[in-house]
Amino acid sequence: MQRAIRLAASLTIATAACSAPSIDTAVPELPLTSPEAITELLARSVQPVVINVWASWCIPCRAEAPLLNKAVSQFGEIVHFIGINVRDNQSSAQEFIEELLAETNIDHFFDRYGAVPLALGGSPGIPLTFFYRPGGSLIKLHFGVLDERTLALQIDELLARS
Amino acid sequence: MEFTLLGATAIALTSVYCMSWLEEHRGETASHSKKLRGLILPATLVGLVAGRLAAMISNGVNPLTNPQEIIILRAGVVAGPATIAALTWIAWAGRSELQTLTDRLAPAALAGLAGWHGACVVRDTCLGTSSDLPWALAQHGSSITRHPVDLYASLAYLVIAVALIMLKPFPPSFAAGAGLVGATGVRLLTEPIRASLDSGPTHWYLAGLLGGVALTGWAVSRSRKATPD
Repeated sequence: MQRAIRLAASLTIATAACSAPSIDTAVPELPLTSPEAITELLARSVQPVVINVWASWCIPCRAEAPLLNKAVSQFGEIVHFIGINVRDNQSSAQEFIEELLAETNIDHFFDRYGAVPLALGGSPGIPLTFFYRPGGSLIKLHFGVLDERTLALQIDELLARS
Repeated sequence: MEFTLLGATAIALTSVYCMSWLEEHRGETASHSKKLRGLILPATLVGLVAGRLAAMISNGVNPLTNPQEIIILRAGVVAGPATIAALTWIAWAGRSELQTLTDRLAPAALAGLAGWHGACVVRDTCLGTSSDLPWALAQHGSSITRHPVDLYASLAYLVIAVALIMLKPFPPSFAAGAGLVGATGVRLLTEPIRASLDSGPTHWYLAGLLGGVALTGWAVSRSRKATPD
């Protein structure tokens, strides 16, 4: 009996040690999205929209975060910023947002299989950034990491053409 | 690294080597040019590593616990620390004849900057603020014409680099000072017509410009003292 108790205790401890750490984050779960939902959101948009596709495991996405924060703080009132988290899990995405993007008002969505960027004309590789006019017409798709100049230029172009 | 960034780096390095070759054919001693060419590639690598480490630290990534991320250059390289590290490497490796080497380096470095900015054509990053000038260019699918600001910068760097070679001889350290004035002055002048989320690192350019002016002035005054009337 004692042996069984010891075995059970050991198994409990081992299981606890192997389980994922509990997530204590103020970031709510990201709402699930689909190509249809995003297409509809774009069609109904009255503001220009910037869609950034990211994942917590994507190292270059980390480099983009400060730029996006800066852009949102400058243009967040007149441009709608959307983040699409792809091929990731909720807890990692929430931790990433809390660490790098919590201060800014970006609407994040969860797209487990990365269907949205492909449907919008992107590639499986990330990061990707789409720039849309109100009503949903694409003016620029940027493949790869954004730099400050490109982001500033495309937002300027977006505002001038909206 | 993005392939377009890789292409821009290759164009910049090729420009540096071409200018160094041109210097050699304008009467520079072959040993100096050879030594300079030998320093450029290691200095570039030192700069890339330093810039990448700075980017990792500023993004909250510990380089000691994530050393594998150092090679992911496309995740960001901070230009300021990269430039300082590369120049420090050149200063240390060429310390026995630093003055001569920095004078030789100036036109080559400006040519490298010309190549880097000119590579905006392959990176699709030439355009700045909107403009109605006849030579202003528009993005694909757009009717809004803009200053091709990186082409302005590339052309200006190239003109200064060629002038530094063609107008020789100069007093010692003059070319290095003039090169610094050119490198920072062009950026300072083009900054207002660049697309940017803030005003850019203009304080660094201003500091470099003042340092270059001081070095050039010092070189001229020293040469005047050395050759009294």
